[in-house]
Amino acid sequence: MITTRSAGLAASIVLALIGIAAVLGGVGYGMFVDGGEVGPGFLPVFAGALVALFAAIDVAGRLRRRRPHDAIHEVVAPEVDEELRADLAAAESSDLDIFGRTQRQRTRMLAIVVGILVATLLLVQVLGFIPAFGVMLLVIAVFVERRKWLPSLAVTLVTCAVVYLLFVTFLRVPLPEGVFGAL
Amino acid sequence: MIDNLLLGFQTALTPENVLWCFIGVLAGTVIGLLPGLGSTTGVAILIPLTLTLEPVTALIMLAGIYYGAQYGGTITSVLISTPGEAASVVTTLDGYKMARNGRAGAALAISAIGSFVAAIISLALLMALAPPLADLALEFGPVENLAIMILGLVIVVSFAGGAFSRGMMMAALGLLISTVGVATGFSSARFTFGNVDLLSGIPFVEVMIGLFAVGEVLHQIRVGAAAPIRTRFRDLMITRSELKRSAAPILRGTGIGFLLGILPGAGSTLASFMAYGIEKRVSKRRGEFGKGAIEGVAAPESANNAAANANFVPTLALGIPGGGTTAVLLGAFTIYGLQPGPLLFETQPTLIWGLLVSFFIGNVLLLVLNLPLAPVFGQMLRIPYGYLYPIILLTSFVGAYAVSNNMFSVLIVLVFGLVGWVMKEIDLPMAPLVLGLVLGPLLEKSLVQTSAIGQGSFLVLLQHPISVGILLVALALAVGPTVLRKVTASRRVQQAAAKEKDSVSR
Repeated sequence: MITTRSAGLAASIVLALIGIAAVLGGVGYGMFVDGGEVGPGFLPVFAGALVALFAAIDVAGRLRRRRPHDAIHEVVAPEVDEELRADLAAAESSDLDIFGRTQRQRTRMLAIVVGILVATLLLVQVLGFIPAFGVMLLVIAVFVERRKWLPSLAVTLVTCAVVYLLFVTFLRVPLPEGVFGAL
Repeated sequence: MIDNLLLGFQTALTPENVLWCFIGVLAGTVIGLLPGLGSTTGVAILIPLTLTLEPVTALIMLAGIYYGAQYGGTITSVLISTPGEAASVVTTLDGYKMARNGRAGAALAISAIGSFVAAIISLALLMALAPPLADLALEFGPVENLAIMILGLVIVVSFAGGAFSRGMMMAALGLLISTVGVATGFSSARFTFGNVDLLSGIPFVEVMIGLFAVGEVLHQIRVGAAAPIRTRFRDLMITRSELKRSAAPILRGTGIGFLLGILPGAGSTLASFMAYGIEKRVSKRRGEFGKGAIEGVAAPESANNAAANANFVPTLALGIPGGGTTAVLLGAFTIYGLQPGPLLFETQPTLIWGLLVSFFIGNVLLLVLNLPLAPVFGQMLRIPYGYLYPIILLTSFVGAYAVSNNMFSVLIVLVFGLVGWVMKEIDLPMAPLVLGLVLGPLLEKSLVQTSAIGQGSFLVLLQHPISVGILLVALALAVGPTVLRKVTASRRVQQAAAKEKDSVSR
């Protein structure tokens, strides 16, 4: 399994590369104009260099520090005493949620939900906006969250109706329609 | 001052504005209450709904969501030990224990009362402080403004929590993202890669919705849920002795909250932690803390509300947001064509004073709503998250589409949703990214102006005394904590060495 530490390391390396790319791109746009004033490339170079610099510092820091990184330790300012930190850590430590699902199961659910989201966006062109997202709601509730069919269908219909009233009737947003027309 | 207040009441008390204020605080309470939905998320999702409203009405409602969420966040902390808002994290310690002891109602009541007292005091201070600060800021030219923006970024980074380098990295990334598209004043398109949709830049609201709403939902799916504790109406009765015990903590919390809140970027989370820590130190009942001490609820809840209001001091007077939510609100200002900053006090007095006075009205509404209805709101926690999060996803995407009637927006939400989730998982701070994104265009404008004044040189920053002062403060904040830590650490090492020597020589 990917640890938070290696994911953080990877993210910082990617950001460092983005920063370097931005610097190169920015130089191409011209950092200064003729009068010596700041040009369109200045901020991209400046920001890109900062991103690259601090990402590099972060990479170095993460490589040097061996102990696993402690989230609570960082959120709670050092002014707040150890006890409070320990209390918070204890409160956060349990692994199973109320449905008795493990961390691994929940991670798999997350991947499925992201997949469903991508599919929904592709379906918008075919079904229309609200129907596509209605299907998404129903599928997530019934298949991912294992809710009962009937209440899930009711929640879906009510939500779609409210969204339709709010956005189409009241705000007149021209939501994309599918091959079947408005709804 | 009196004129301004009258103008404010005239604006805020129109039936339409009172109605939207009510909708805002009610929505805020519900949003703060639902785990996985915070005030920043709520404001980001609901901005699209306000596009047809008058700017002042829209801002009254959006601000209502912000401070309403501070009340709502407490309910979740107390009943299910899951903070609805980061600022309510420390309330879980004593609030949840109180609920376990059958005093959930009292915990909710004292936090509503504390929040209200804190809100009223801090609002009075806000109204007194913001206008003179804006007056002062009006004297600022582009050079000072540039310095102020640098200061704002540094402050946000140093208070965002986590390593300074990571905060700076995110702030710079925000600036970088803001440069995509055709910038005002320049004709060339930057980083668009031939994509027409990117010409007008990466849209702000969509990024917010993605980072805060979708990213948070994805994060919550992995975190899982806890079971709520039920409350009943009769539990709400708070005893006289509990009230008496809470009075001083509420006032101390208000003071700490306001002081930390006015620093741009410090925000209400830090304030609530500090208030709890200090209360624990000064209290006579130190031993009860963590076991259900009412002071441990009253102080941080007052502090986070005071800080939420104080956040508006830099937001309104300087155009530099105090925290994540005010950064999104600042983005909302620009959507309505308003340039945030000191000029607003002169050009838009109706808007500013109407907004400020609406805070009073909103907090009265919240007290009335929360004292008797907290248990009713508590019932909402029984909505299974399995229904709630697909609904949040649906609303996020529809809302994003509504901003610009474009499927491109929807794509941006998805992309930044994934970015937001990754950031949450690996603990990268969001507030600096948002601030960089909001300040980017303004920063670029003052960079151009400053370089024009200095004929291509930025040394002019060091020739204006005010900007030098501001930059020194920024520098102190950036390197101060590290230096301080090094110094105390080396002193400790010396002391330890001295002790060792001592024991050896004996």
